[in-house]
Amino acid sequence: MDASLFFLLNMGYGVLTLALVALGLAVIFGLLGVMNMAHGEFIAMGAYSAYAAQSAGLPLFVSLPAAALVTGAVGWLIEATVVRHLYKRPFDTLLATWGISILLREGIKLAFGVDYKSVVEPVSGSTGVLGIDYPNYRIAVMAALLVCFFLLFLWYRKSHASARVRAMIANPELAAIVGINTKRLASLAFVIGAASAGIAGAMLAPLVQIEPYMGINYLLQSFFVLVVGGLGSFHGLFIGSGVIGGVASTASAAFGGTGGYVTLLLISILFLWLKPEGLYAGR
Amino acid sequence: MRPHLSVSGLTAGYGDLAVLRDLSFDVAEGEILCITGRNGVGKTTLMRAVSGAIPLLAGHITLNGKDVTALATNKRQKLGLSYGPQENVSFAPLTVRENLTLHLDGYDLSRYERLFQAFPRIEERLEQKAGSLSGGERKILSFCRVMAEGGSLVALDEPTEGVAPENIALMIDAIRSAAAEGTAMAIVEQNLTLVEAVADKVIVIDHGEIIYRCTAMPNLRQEIEAQLRV
Amino acid sequence: MRVADLSLPLSLAALVAVPFVFGDFTAYQIGLFLLYGSVAQGVALCWGRVGILPLGQALFFGLGAYLGGGALIRFEHSSILLYPALLGAVLAPATVAGAIGILVFRRNVGSGPYFSLITLALSMLAYQVALGADWLTGGYMGLNGIPPLPGTDPWSTLYWVILGALVLSTGVLLWITRSPLGQLLHAVSQNEDRLSFLGFDIARLKALAFAVSAALAGMAGALYAAQQGIVTPQVLAYVLSGELLIWTAVGGRASLIGPAAGAVLIGMLTSNLRDRFQYWEILLALLFLAIVLFAPTGLAGLIAPLLKRLPKRVHAMRDVERPLPDRGDMPMLSFEEVRVTIGSVRILQGLTLELKKRGLHCLIGPNGAGKTSAFNALMGRLSVSGGRITWGGRDITGLPAHKVARLGIARKLQVPAIFHDMTVGVHLDIALWSGGISARELLSQRSFRYRNEILGVLKEMFPFLNDEEKRAGDLSLGHRQVLEFALSVIARPEVVLLDEPCAGLSTQETANLTAAIRKIAGRFDISALIIEHDFSVVEELSDHIFVLHQGQTLSEGTLEAIRADHKVQAVYTGGTK
Repeated sequence: MDASLFFLLNMGYGVLTLALVALGLAVIFGLLGVMNMAHGEFIAMGAYSAYAAQSAGLPLFVSLPAAALVTGAVGWLIEATVVRHLYKRPFDTLLATWGISILLREGIKLAFGVDYKSVVEPVSGSTGVLGIDYPNYRIAVMAALLVCFFLLFLWYRKSHASARVRAMIANPELAAIVGINTKRLASLAFVIGAASAGIAGAMLAPLVQIEPYMGINYLLQSFFVLVVGGLGSFHGLFIGSGVIGGVASTASAAFGGTGGYVTLLLISILFLWLKPEGLYAGR
Repeated sequence: MRPHLSVSGLTAGYGDLAVLRDLSFDVAEGEILCITGRNGVGKTTLMRAVSGAIPLLAGHITLNGKDVTALATNKRQKLGLSYGPQENVSFAPLTVRENLTLHLDGYDLSRYERLFQAFPRIEERLEQKAGSLSGGERKILSFCRVMAEGGSLVALDEPTEGVAPENIALMIDAIRSAAAEGTAMAIVEQNLTLVEAVADKVIVIDHGEIIYRCTAMPNLRQEIEAQLRV
Repeated sequence: MRVADLSLPLSLAALVAVPFVFGDFTAYQIGLFLLYGSVAQGVALCWGRVGILPLGQALFFGLGAYLGGGALIRFEHSSILLYPALLGAVLAPATVAGAIGILVFRRNVGSGPYFSLITLALSMLAYQVALGADWLTGGYMGLNGIPPLPGTDPWSTLYWVILGALVLSTGVLLWITRSPLGQLLHAVSQNEDRLSFLGFDIARLKALAFAVSAALAGMAGALYAAQQGIVTPQVLAYVLSGELLIWTAVGGRASLIGPAAGAVLIGMLTSNLRDRFQYWEILLALLFLAIVLFAPTGLAGLIAPLLKRLPKRVHAMRDVERPLPDRGDMPMLSFEEVRVTIGSVRILQGLTLELKKRGLHCLIGPNGAGKTSAFNALMGRLSVSGGRITWGGRDITGLPAHKVARLGIARKLQVPAIFHDMTVGVHLDIALWSGGISARELLSQRSFRYRNEILGVLKEMFPFLNDEEKRAGDLSLGHRQVLEFALSVIARPEVVLLDEPCAGLSTQETANLTAAIRKIAGRFDISALIIEHDFSVVEELSDHIFVLHQGQTLSEGTLEAIRADHKVQAVYTGGTK
């Protein structure tokens, strides 16, 4: 009983954090059709922002907006200078963003070195949850994410701004015809995608190993989520996270880390094979 | 009277496939210009060029005195261009209400009062997704959006395509009212009934050029049909 | 390949001189980067030639290294088993790559990010496995004590084997690039759709290129094991995959030895400067970005104009006649209540159409009637949600484009789809091969000498086709339309689907092309289904007309019958609908 509860909590944590990690890429790929190969590095930058905040003696919750600012600014710069000119050339955007990911990674190495860093949990210890002890910070993260995603979901359904975004996804030409500034919206989408990746990194910083190459795994995980869940919809993001998160947890528990990875890969290839648009083709 | 929309030497197409060559015409305030021609001659390409969806290979477009040739589509809308394209006329996953208020600041539908009176079906379906409407209904939805947008130049591409005859009559009324209030209108139409009913002047396009121009006259339909050689 | 012509012997001479001029130790160091260079050449084949980006090529290098190292340890004293095992180190990566390629490319039309990310994921996985599986790979410490290749000394004589391997890989790539297969691979990166409409299986071509690149990587990996004497999981690391891409880009992804030069130059610079100059890696990243954005052909591309200009390769004489396929009765093409829906829009609503007799058939109708969609459904580009399409009684609904093409159904697109950077001559070659070509022909220079009767007639009617060295992208629009038409008919298809063949043409050009269509179709018994709006063309080319409206057949018959039909008139001039 205890073991399965523990497992379920871990799975819930896994699914929620996966959705957070993949959100940035989903926004950019879903809205702009750009596979941002630097997505993982935005997450890394977020984590390093948390580390920098800690080194500067600032409390962790300062690092969240700091991370968002840093990654948002970098994202804005990248979109304006590189990505904007390559929208019609998807292969080149792949290459360019990949090149940018190298640049960002080397920048991180230069600034922080290659050794592993760590960030202290802002809330330590554990609490009894339904009879078992679960780490406090994880609980805090899960709670925060549940609230945020709920609010995000509401915003997506109801607000005027979200209508404009949904319009742009559905019919970009008509969006311009009714006066929506698609260029600005595109830039905004990229910035938001980058910033949310930064926030993800800052939030997860106390829970993971922080090193310059950490981004690659996050990129791959986000990619798997998108392959399964499809693009262009909120539901897809969660379905994808659910499937990938669920499978990853189960497979890791059963086969160990590598086995989990293999299972993920196989499932993604399977989805690619059977349902190229993902489970929930929101378009 | 200074023309509200002025097109001169317009050459446009896709890649270097020049579909239209050296077109020139203008539309004055309160005037209705109908553009007609057989299938595939480039009428939609012309509309798309005027709206900014495709760049010009040569020529100029002037709107209300300003050269908009290089201006982005959304900025042309801000300058007063209200455009209803021929296809992909609505945002399918958005509701009818959202489609009608997307470009406004709030959800206020008071400006649609007269149009809702003419087309009550649209008002009935406000909370439905636009994608669930029939093709004709979507065309009417697009028509409503354009006519209520408040632009000084209304551009419509085949507004009656797929629309039932009784609604076409109502569209004709709405078009006439708008022109009477001073809106300049450029309408691409193959439906000669509508052209007969509203046109102040007509241009016929064929092989990428304007082959015939005329103003409203008694046997307009026969004249145009002769030009179309169907 | 002008650069290759001059620089190949020069580079070889320089590399041969290295041990004598700089000594064995330098040769050893350069040898390592020459191995990486071979891998980079494979990456260039994928990236520069075919247009697919492998982000995890270290997977195959590492696989070759582990297999090669394992073989050398295990069969140290038994050469009968050693060499086949070493061959396995080359073939295993190739097989894996081929399998992955087929899996990914079959499903994914276009070279999107999926392939790249899956290769990345696989290489990461391999790295994890190598780290963890102590029993198999020696884990973190790797395979130690790998004996040298029999008869060689890693510190001196192995260099010649490595050089030989590089010569081999360059030779193989040169051969492939110059062969008909190489042209097809290049065409994949130019216009996949066009190539698949000519009957070529794009997925297989891409997978083949990927497999070849993996074989090269495997070979380099095996030699790496022999040279270094130790193989650790680092051979599979993401870092190496990334560096390979940088070397390829900087060296020149479209060149043969550029990538190898890139590996040697940049690789050696990096290992020397990395510790001394802390900004080196960032500079390199910026250089990579700059090259990707502004100088895609890399250093090789920048240097090429500086070398002496060699005369352009002239196309071979066409002196091998290819017989035309026989012609029997035309299989009937039939659409039976075909429905196509995209989202909520009903594009084809029960389209029924039968093409029974040979001749010229026109497909007309207002915008949105579904004409081009009917073509797309036939070629498997649009999925059919109801009804079926049959060819000679056989159900071909949903068959992929290249298979439909192989049945004898050719297609010409509305906006001329050609291979912009390739010459007219190669276009004609590819068209001649589209009727069917064996593996042997794909690798033989003789295949460039083909001609057939239809080509002869086309060249007579359109003399510009004789200028075979002209780059297709430089042709005028009218000539491009004719070229694409030629591509679609040269192999004598049963039916050719022409989508507004005269779009954008002047009156004279329209008349010429219309006459050509009539003549070729008539003389060689090729049926045509033509979408047209221009009634002057329809008049010339219609034995029979189908009128489409709102996704269904409204009417059919001869031109007079259609003209007299009230239903048709109503639709065209918008009387009462």
